Amino acid sequence: MILTKRALMGALLGATALGLVPAQAADPIKIGLTGPYTGGSSSMGVSMRDGAKLAAAEINKNGGVLGRPIQLIERDDEAKNEVGAQVAQELINKEKVVATVGFINTGVALAAQRFYQEAEIPVFNNVATGTVITNQFKEPDYDVNYVFRNSAYDVLQAGMMVDEALAQNFKKIAILADSTNYGQLGREDIEKYLATKGVKPVAVEKFNIKDVDMTAQLLKSQQAGADVILAYGIGPELAQVANGMAKLGWKVPIIASWPASMQSFIDIAGTNGNGVIMPQTFIEDKTLAKRASFLDDYYKTYGVTKIPTPVAGAQGYDSVYLIAAAIKQAGSTNGPKIREALENLNTKVEGVVTTYDHPFTAKDHNAISRNMVVFGKVQDGKIVYAKPEDAKNAGVVRVKEKSSN
Amino acid sequence: MTIFLQLVASGVAVGMIYAAIAFGYQLTFATSKTLNFGQGEALALGALFGLTLAPFTGYWLMIPLVLVFGFALGAVVERLAVRPAIKIKSEYGWIMATIALGIIFRNLAENIWGRDDLKFPSPLPDAAVEMGGIRVLPMEMLIVAGALLMMLCVEIFNRKSIWGKAVVATSNDIDAAGLMGINTKRIITLSYSISAMTAAFAGVLVAPVTLTGATMGAVLALKAFAVAIIGGLESGLGVIVGGLILGVAETLTGFYISTGYKDVPGLILLLVVLSIRPVGLFGKAVIKKV
Repeated sequence: MILTKRALMGALLGATALGLVPAQAADPIKIGLTGPYTGGSSSMGVSMRDGAKLAAAEINKNGGVLGRPIQLIERDDEAKNEVGAQVAQELINKEKVVATVGFINTGVALAAQRFYQEAEIPVFNNVATGTVITNQFKEPDYDVNYVFRNSAYDVLQAGMMVDEALAQNFKKIAILADSTNYGQLGREDIEKYLATKGVKPVAVEKFNIKDVDMTAQLLKSQQAGADVILAYGIGPELAQVANGMAKLGWKVPIIASWPASMQSFIDIAGTNGNGVIMPQTFIEDKTLAKRASFLDDYYKTYGVTKIPTPVAGAQGYDSVYLIAAAIKQAGSTNGPKIREALENLNTKVEGVVTTYDHPFTAKDHNAISRNMVVFGKVQDGKIVYAKPEDAKNAGVVRVKEKSSN
Repeated sequence: MTIFLQLVASGVAVGMIYAAIAFGYQLTFATSKTLNFGQGEALALGALFGLTLAPFTGYWLMIPLVLVFGFALGAVVERLAVRPAIKIKSEYGWIMATIALGIIFRNLAENIWGRDDLKFPSPLPDAAVEMGGIRVLPMEMLIVAGALLMMLCVEIFNRKSIWGKAVVATSNDIDAAGLMGINTKRIITLSYSISAMTAAFAGVLVAPVTLTGATMGAVLALKAFAVAIIGGLESGLGVIVGGLILGVAETLTGFYISTGYKDVPGLILLLVVLSIRPVGLFGKAVIKKV
């Protein structure tokens, strides 16, 4: 029996190598795809998932990887830490995935990725931004790290937000952050970076998810004489901040964290959201052929005129291509081999955020460097380039700087 | 001083949102000593139903339809979750049953309307009005007026109509009311209907200011529950006062102490009221003879 099975496998492999059998007939390569597809951060999760599915479909149309199609195993982590941990175990033990992409929420990533680390399976964060995510299993405590990321992490974003505020000559900075892991870690990063610049924020305020009224937070900032607001949170609450300012008739610029590009921010803040800027790795523009075809495909496949959260969609799309390239280079679906391949990717991977040229090393597991992130601006329901020079250079692919992370 | 007044004004608006929701708890508790823990979901369903209707009917015409929807919803909750529990004299069955029904409603709403927070078009201008240095949104004034009007209507109904009198009689002594020929089962259903109706109305009232979505009621209903406890579960006036206390306490603490401790005074107040006056500030103390 064993013999026949082996013989069959051998025959199959030989046949695939010769291109006699169509790729679909081969065993699929299973890749986990996990994120919140329900609940408050679902617009990010769904955009990420839909982007990833597009990439997988394209790869499969072109013959798959190692002659095998990619099969994405979707699981909803509901943005809950405990569900994320459960999903991770299911994907590893029951579905036997060779890698997983996903995670929108920093807390979920931190709770779930230790299972991948233990199982020696690469896990790829394509949206979550908590700085600690890629440092959770860092040397010297761990020999190798199975956590990778292609989103702009918090320290990087916090630094950009602060530098932008200082560059525009604002001296009195107020920080508003939500009370979740995400908001409070981001606030810490902002405060730390401000300290290195010798600036003390005039107000540091907190709000809860689903808070209806921001009067107290805003009045405190206003009384402290703030001339700019750095806001760290997700779409709906950031919108309440913008609406609250309009109510109080107080006009100072808002520099927000990246989720201000969520559809919910645009819808809820309406005209009050115009002019809010936020760090973005991807803006919906069709200057590059790759981006144009990605956007057209996305709009057509899902029947929309705009990606709900463009950054999440683009990063989700790229993450699948990066994993696929690593599996191809490793020549196997063995976890440690895929990790090694990721840390030393020989081929350039053309994504929609950038063209990845050696995006990772053994020490650096973040694909995005600061020069690749631009400021986006809310303008009449869309996210556009905040700066004219970025808009002009939209067609130039921003590649990662050497040793920048 | 203007800052203080601004904080109070915003606190009053938030407080009336809580009070409008808490009012529904009080209605059913009075007749049947049970509560609908799915009140937050009734609020969300009302708001989402209204959001779907608004493009066809406009904001004002949509309201009566939402009221009818809420009325029917309340009857369904009572029949499915509360009546079986009362029938078998289960003291706690209705708690689990109304929570379960609430979860079902929430999932239903997520499947129909999606999971995102949506924008509810405001019937009034979005620009704030300035009055003596303080700024309020026209919508916030509508919330205060609408909530008071709603409570007034229910009070008038209870005092003047024959059905309302039956509700009051049932609240006072359910056994005596039953002996007097009042169909108390039907009155309990009616109280649930009115309760869900007020929740659905509160939903479309607050939705332009809060966010609209299947989970919009989760936090609001919990705060409203605290308000109902503080004010007294059997008192309509109590929920107004309780709501205002909690709303104003939140904004004042946020400004004068720390926004991180915004929710603390309300909870402390809840504990104090429970330990000193368990029936709430305006509740009637009842002696239970064993």
